[in-house]
Amino acid sequence: MKKIINCVQDVVIEMCNGLVKACPEQIEFIEKYKIIKKKVLNKNKVTLISGGGSGHEPAHAGYVGTGMLDAAVCGDMFASPSIIQVYNAILQTRSEKGTLLIIKNYSGDCMNFDSAADMAQEEGVKIEKVYVNDDVAVQDSLHTVGRRGVAGTIFVHKIAGVAAENGMDLLQVKAIAERVIDNVRSIGFALTSCTVPANGTPTFDLPDNEIEFGVGIHGEPGIARETIKTADEIAEKMVALIVKDLPFKPEDEAALMINGLGGTPIQELYILNNSVHNSVKKRGIQIYKTYVGNYMTSIDMAGASVTLLKLDNELKELLDSPVEIPASKFI
Amino acid sequence: MNILNIGDIINIVRYMAEIIIDNEKYFNQLDSFTGDGDCGSSLGKGFKVIIEKWGGIPKTNIGAFLRGCGMMITENCGGASGPIWGAAFMNASRYAKEKTELNLNEISEMMKCAVDGIQKIGKAGLGDKTLLDALIPSVKSLEQSCELKDDIPLAMKKSAAAAVAGAEKTKELVAMKGRASYLGERSLGHPDAGATAVGVIFTGVSKKFMKD
Repeated sequence: MKKIINCVQDVVIEMCNGLVKACPEQIEFIEKYKIIKKKVLNKNKVTLISGGGSGHEPAHAGYVGTGMLDAAVCGDMFASPSIIQVYNAILQTRSEKGTLLIIKNYSGDCMNFDSAADMAQEEGVKIEKVYVNDDVAVQDSLHTVGRRGVAGTIFVHKIAGVAAENGMDLLQVKAIAERVIDNVRSIGFALTSCTVPANGTPTFDLPDNEIEFGVGIHGEPGIARETIKTADEIAEKMVALIVKDLPFKPEDEAALMINGLGGTPIQELYILNNSVHNSVKKRGIQIYKTYVGNYMTSIDMAGASVTLLKLDNELKELLDSPVEIPASKFI
Repeated sequence: MNILNIGDIINIVRYMAEIIIDNEKYFNQLDSFTGDGDCGSSLGKGFKVIIEKWGGIPKTNIGAFLRGCGMMITENCGGASGPIWGAAFMNASRYAKEKTELNLNEISEMMKCAVDGIQKIGKAGLGDKTLLDALIPSVKSLEQSCELKDDIPLAMKKSAAAAVAGAEKTKELVAMKGRASYLGERSLGHPDAGATAVGVIFTGVSKKFMKD
């Protein structure tokens, strides 16, 4: 395993300390509970908290700042943070207007965030929760755990975050978050697996001429293994699935995110964006805004996901608002 | 031997911790076919803290001891393991209360409570391809041992075997819960990591217990 690393057990703590040292004026790290929180909280707005396993950087700590999250709770690599971690995050960012938890739909995250919310409610904190489940790879069913929350979560963080910053109350912010969740769809593919530091080797092997289609962000295999395709072919396949699922219709306006999973060069993300734009436009869908980069990664997995969010005027306005977060600190 | 006293329960949990820590890499490996490869690390984290803070865990009665362990597991085990294993220990502790010894019937009831705790929080059932597919058969085996009036070491041995058999059967199941459920039919052919871990742990505990 070749990584920039000191000790495997210190990865999460050192990463958080490194992030804070890049934005010391904005954020601080509560090491005991592995919480990254805004240094200066606005107690007159709804508090937004998210988090989950580490390994998805910049998600979620990179989104703590004005207009997005107030705190991000960092679990171990790919493992949900514990009830106690989330509970302390809620207490330490308590505001006059209550707290919205943005939870990605995974068993661990749901159990830990739900139980933490129950505990905090007993302490008098007003809490609402939303569950992000934008990945279309898995069919939703009553009998399973439902769809995964992937890159679409970033749109929830931003749009709900700006809504909270603008002074909306807890139920209004929750409604906006749910509207984003109802209108966002994603799907991903992988060219390689990823290497979790504690394991030292890739979670699965993938021959040179094959890809995993319908992958999540935790290094597990996808829904199918297929022979490698061209950028145009994979773009067409992904866009077809996303558009059919919502469904998106001609004349719909959408925000598009091409999200690198961590191990893919930016040039390839732009090539994918080029192909995806063609596939989306030929379906009559208007692309209002495009985002290309690493937003919700899977450590060093090579691959990408495509996300489309159907917009209305209110969502457009919120999406257009500027935010101040570590993840946007390029220059 | 017809009862387990507080000392025996303490030893059993200690054995569990040792087995989990020794098998961290193996459990991770099991979890990488259909999961994210962290089953061993997640469990191991909580049980390492139990060993570290062993001196501070109350040992006056079985309920207090299991509750102390349950809280450490909930606080420290990663991911879904924390709530699930934590719920098992906490519900078991609610059954045991201030008892300082358990006969086989009581052990069987306590394990049923542990299973109930897991089902309540995880919302899975038999056949969903989770650790319950090892635990539920092992509890059924304990109930049968009660009827047969087996002594405790024999009951433990049979219960461990039932857990192992249950885990093996998960190869034929399509996962309905947890990360493996995202793979659908591709999860066939691989045993569930959590169920296999339960089989390994119960077998190891049963063997160590008989040695001592």
